[in-house]
Amino acid sequence: MGTRKKRVVIIGGDAAGMSAASVAKRKNPDLEVMVFEKGPHTSYSA
Amino acid sequence: MVARTPEEFRAKQQIDVRTFHEVIGIETRERRVRVVDRKTQNEAWEAYDELLMATGAVPLRPSVPGADASGIYGVHTLESGIRLRKVLDAQQPRSAVIVGGGYIGLEMAEAFLLRGMRVSLVDKAPQVMGTLDQDMARHVARALTDRGVHLYLDEALEAFAVRNGRVHAVITSQRTLETDLVLLGMGVAPNTQLAKEAGIPLGERGAVRVDRRMATEVEGVWAAGDCAESFHRLTGQPFYVALGTVANRHGRVAGTNMAGGDARFSGVVGTAVTRICSLEVARTGLQTRELEGLGRPFVSQTIESHTRAAYFPGSGTIHVKMLADAATGVVLGAQIVGQEGAAKRIDVMATAISAELTARQVSELDLAYAPPFSPLWDPLIIAARLLAKKIQ
Repeated sequence: MGTRKKRVVIIGGDAAGMSAASVAKRKNPDLEVMVFEKGPHTSYSA
Repeated sequence: MVARTPEEFRAKQQIDVRTFHEVIGIETRERRVRVVDRKTQNEAWEAYDELLMATGAVPLRPSVPGADASGIYGVHTLESGIRLRKVLDAQQPRSAVIVGGGYIGLEMAEAFLLRGMRVSLVDKAPQVMGTLDQDMARHVARALTDRGVHLYLDEALEAFAVRNGRVHAVITSQRTLETDLVLLGMGVAPNTQLAKEAGIPLGERGAVRVDRRMATEVEGVWAAGDCAESFHRLTGQPFYVALGTVANRHGRVAGTNMAGGDARFSGVVGTAVTRICSLEVARTGLQTRELEGLGRPFVSQTIESHTRAAYFPGSGTIHVKMLADAATGVVLGAQIVGQEGAAKRIDVMATAISAELTARQVSELDLAYAPPFSPLWDPLIIAARLLAKKIQ
């Protein structure tokens, strides 16, 4: 069993959520990044 | 408008984006969230090490009779904009009443005019565009009325008249305006229902309280975007603003910190820009109302000039207002209303304010000049020079 990856959960997939997701993953590619968005779309400008 | 799709985020960046998934609860001690898949209605717990609240804002709705009738729209998300567009195409309404004279209300007024609709705008304030001083907002109001918008300022919304479940008129303190459609542009409030239920402390205007690293007061929980507080660089105080630029900046800071880095949000100075019916409108810093509220002695200067050399084709009018500390001359705010080419000058002023330049220093800046771009003396230089003379 490997150790579980550190997991970042983001509530909301618009500008703030998606830019945070992108930056976090870029800074630490070993992170597991999950985004929950209640609507059909993600950010329009991240 | 959609820069990247969920599939692209997943494939290119290995970010697990789940649309139609709504978080309905947070247990901060157990570090887990309750998620509903809105397509299947299946619910599950998902564990986290770090959690970001990026729940955005919700449009303010009036609590007046008839407010839940059909025919009343808002445009606060891509979906709600698409929905309104479909209604306009299908029903071809001939008139609209807009409630609220802020950015959304004015931008929608223009959109309705372009469709050939009769447009009325109601606001309880004595001016449109409350983020401008009243004298500057008057230029915006004139541009709207010149285009045929019927402005009813100083008139409070009292009720919507409803027939068969559908709105047919807006009733203000002064009159009844028959209409095919109503658009709400009353501003937004941070969407913090989830945070509140989870016991995450709220601050300025009900936004999630954060420090400069975008950390909330609960271990492992961060907040960013329209649901979170900012702070104003000029006052050092918490400040709430719902803007895409700020949301992106918040997101970068929170994302860096959640990944183990150490980033700090550098605050806002209240910079915003828009265009309404070919009129460009921009503001930064503190306006008269805010300075009076702070009890801070200030001087101000308003000038009228040209966007380009007066003789150059396409040259138009520009109005600049600049405000500075009465004692030190440090620039505290600026507002610009004018024709094409006017508005982006606000970035010079946002920079000047961030660098704490005085009016005299702004008047001595080495700004670019050529006839297509500016008069010999840029309008900012003219305003700053006159403003500097008012400082002891």
